[in-house]
Amino acid sequence: MTLICKRKYPPSSLQTRRNLRVSHCFAARVPPQKKPREKVEIPGLEMVTYGDRMHYVPGLAKPVYPPWEMSFKDPRYYRSPPAQEMALYKDKPCYVFNQRTSILEGVRQAAWLTKTHVRPGLLPHLVSLAAKPENQLPDQDERVQNAIKHSRFWDTTEPRPRKEKYSNTLLLNLLHLCATLQPTHPAVGRRILAENYSLAATWKRGEDLFQIRGRNGLLHCSMDPLPRICGEQEVLETSDQVLESFYPVSPTIDLQQVSVYKEEMNCTGFRGEYPYPHAHTLYFLETSDPNCQLRPEQFRAKMIMFTFGNALARAHKLYGTQPQSLLERPITVQAVGTNGRIFQFLVFQLNTTDLSGDDGIKNQAWLDEDVELYDFAKVRPFIKRKEVKVPAGLAGYKPETFSKFLALYLHGAA
Amino acid sequence: MAARIRLPLLLPRSFPPLRSLKHVHTEAVKEPQYPPIVASLTAKSKSARLRQNEERIKLISSSPVEEKLSLITRIQRMKFVVYPQTFSRNPDRWYQHFTKTAYIPGLPEKFNPTTEGSQLATDQPAVPEIDDAAFSEIRDLVTRVILHEHWHKMRKRQPFLYKHQEQVVGPFLKTLVSELTYNLAKYNPLLRLSSLDFSPQVNFYWRRGKRIIPKGHRRGRQEPIRFQIDDHPHSQIRIPQQLPQFAPLEASYTAEVPEIHLAPNVMPLFRRQYDNNIFTGAKLPDPACYGHTQFHLVPDRYHRDRLARQQHSDQVEPFLRANAAASLFAWTGAQAMYQGFWDYQDVSRPFVSQAVITDGHFFSFFCYQLNTLALSVETDANNPRKNLLWGTESLRLYEGVQDGAVVGLDDCVLRLLVQFLMNRPHS
Repeated sequence: MTLICKRKYPPSSLQTRRNLRVSHCFAARVPPQKKPREKVEIPGLEMVTYGDRMHYVPGLAKPVYPPWEMSFKDPRYYRSPPAQEMALYKDKPCYVFNQRTSILEGVRQAAWLTKTHVRPGLLPHLVSLAAKPENQLPDQDERVQNAIKHSRFWDTTEPRPRKEKYSNTLLLNLLHLCATLQPTHPAVGRRILAENYSLAATWKRGEDLFQIRGRNGLLHCSMDPLPRICGEQEVLETSDQVLESFYPVSPTIDLQQVSVYKEEMNCTGFRGEYPYPHAHTLYFLETSDPNCQLRPEQFRAKMIMFTFGNALARAHKLYGTQPQSLLERPITVQAVGTNGRIFQFLVFQLNTTDLSGDDGIKNQAWLDEDVELYDFAKVRPFIKRKEVKVPAGLAGYKPETFSKFLALYLHGAA
Repeated sequence: MAARIRLPLLLPRSFPPLRSLKHVHTEAVKEPQYPPIVASLTAKSKSARLRQNEERIKLISSSPVEEKLSLITRIQRMKFVVYPQTFSRNPDRWYQHFTKTAYIPGLPEKFNPTTEGSQLATDQPAVPEIDDAAFSEIRDLVTRVILHEHWHKMRKRQPFLYKHQEQVVGPFLKTLVSELTYNLAKYNPLLRLSSLDFSPQVNFYWRRGKRIIPKGHRRGRQEPIRFQIDDHPHSQIRIPQQLPQFAPLEASYTAEVPEIHLAPNVMPLFRRQYDNNIFTGAKLPDPACYGHTQFHLVPDRYHRDRLARQQHSDQVEPFLRANAAASLFAWTGAQAMYQGFWDYQDVSRPFVSQAVITDGHFFSFFCYQLNTLALSVETDANNPRKNLLWGTESLRLYEGVQDGAVVGLDDCVLRLLVQFLMNRPHS
């Protein structure tokens, strides 16, 4: 194993400053910063300034003028007022979850914030949807493998496409394959894919106010709502379950704290008489932004939060913003997240909008973590000690993952 | 000594009785068998250079397709980079000359129901296999898609300068293409096997014409002019079977291709040297290797409103035609090269593709038939075939959106769009 030696650099404020445009000494150590003299303000004492004389006079004080403001409004030179002076300023802070938030405790924290009981694995009646022969594509395995090969190998003139490109292409290819079932399943035609819509939802949890804001990814909207996953009896049984606590970490950790916000901000992203009001599935991709790389646990938490946000915004629209302890028709929303190889499946059922207390009926979520679609997709074979460990091309394809994807897609339409 | 020769009593037929070659092995050796006399391969002469070219052509013709492509695109030289969407004036004539394409206004008879039997056409639906009920469903779908993007979706702020097409019209076209494709999949089974790409790459490399090198150590010598197209359509549909031809190969013999006697850099067109790529949107092993339809978005810089402000409204249609000619030539050419045809092995069947170019409101429809790939000087000398481009003027799909309703949705444009997507080989 090679040892990687890292050279240690001094902080940038103390690094030697080099000026190569002058003819004297090129480099000199930065002189230490001088602390400015403390100015003493004595009220009532008028300082004699050199303002009247229009030039500097040693011994007299520097004149202080009121800040100049332009007489007209120019957006290039606008300075926003401090937060306390803004119109929407409130004393009580609001904790905002946006698409770049990476919360420390992951799924546990998301479950606590949304008052959800998370169960591992999808329900069998969902997964068995795709096992029926009429719900399968002709030549399904071959076509899915072609879709994977297209996204991983064939999509570019270079040897291999980059990760954000291939994960995006893979998701679109799989959605295209699922959508070609529209001739046999006409209900699939009652949906539309929306992207870049701005979601907003507000709720109170205990003493604190929480909001979800942002654009998360692709949303499959439908004219018809999804059927409920869980019966009434099981929904009532959730009131006996206790939310997992992660004391001493505060549930509001890593959330953006804002003092300037609009209360009761609920927006599904669409206005007017939208023909596709119900959210069917959300599709999440890993962002290429180096500043917000989410680890798998945080990625799953983001999925839960945004699914909850979509469900809550629609619940507020249907039933009003007053907290309701049990919704007559629970709102079901699904989510699929992927990084190009590994998939996360989530089904969320919103049973209640009364989230202030820790007891009572909880929302439910079924989360299938880390499901691989294939093992390796190598452009060049992986050879170790003159032995081919992983051959070139697609290796280790798992057909069950696409069945789950298709099952979630056809849920409500088959 | 002559006197001592004893002559036999019976004289043989041929006298003197010398061994005559006429009677021995008559059918065999007639003339001396020498190896063919050809020019040298390694001499420093013009004939050696010609012989080297012939050997290279033989080598390329006999290799498998992947090797053929890499042999043709191996050497990098300075080439003209042809941009399908260009600011030049009258680019359609230039691009038709570079790609040997003849422009025919209007669409092929397949898409024009207004032929002699126009009375019959009004009784039958304009699009076969789609009756009025299905067509009204499609119309509703298109209305919903327009409203979804332009009315229902909430936007926080107006798009920034020159970002309107990318941020507003791009997603609208994406949704329109996908929804229409899936909806029409029940009438056109080919669309179920198709592959839909968003922001794909299409590249093509070819040679046309020659020039005399003006300066340098190779001054005075002939050099072919090389071109490269690097196109990025908004979306495209690729299919595993080829579309049928619009017109027979022989029909292109009489078509007219504009001849331009100026050098390409006058257009203006600029030279660069980089990787030569030939790419349809997916690499060779992909089963969907033929093209169906491409969709192009007119960028903000070339939007008709901006051109009208600069008093260049007459350049709107030439821009669209040039875009269609270059993009579709590159796509069909790449499809043909994926099947093993190239400059010296011309296409045995025409390759056909379609394109729709739009700026959100106005749609233009184009059909292209590639009849010949032999565009370089040696192969084009006796080549009567020409490539054909059919196209319409830009047609308005809808006037606008007011209070949650689409105003002025044009059925003819919708019908053309549906016909384009319904095109498939006769089975």
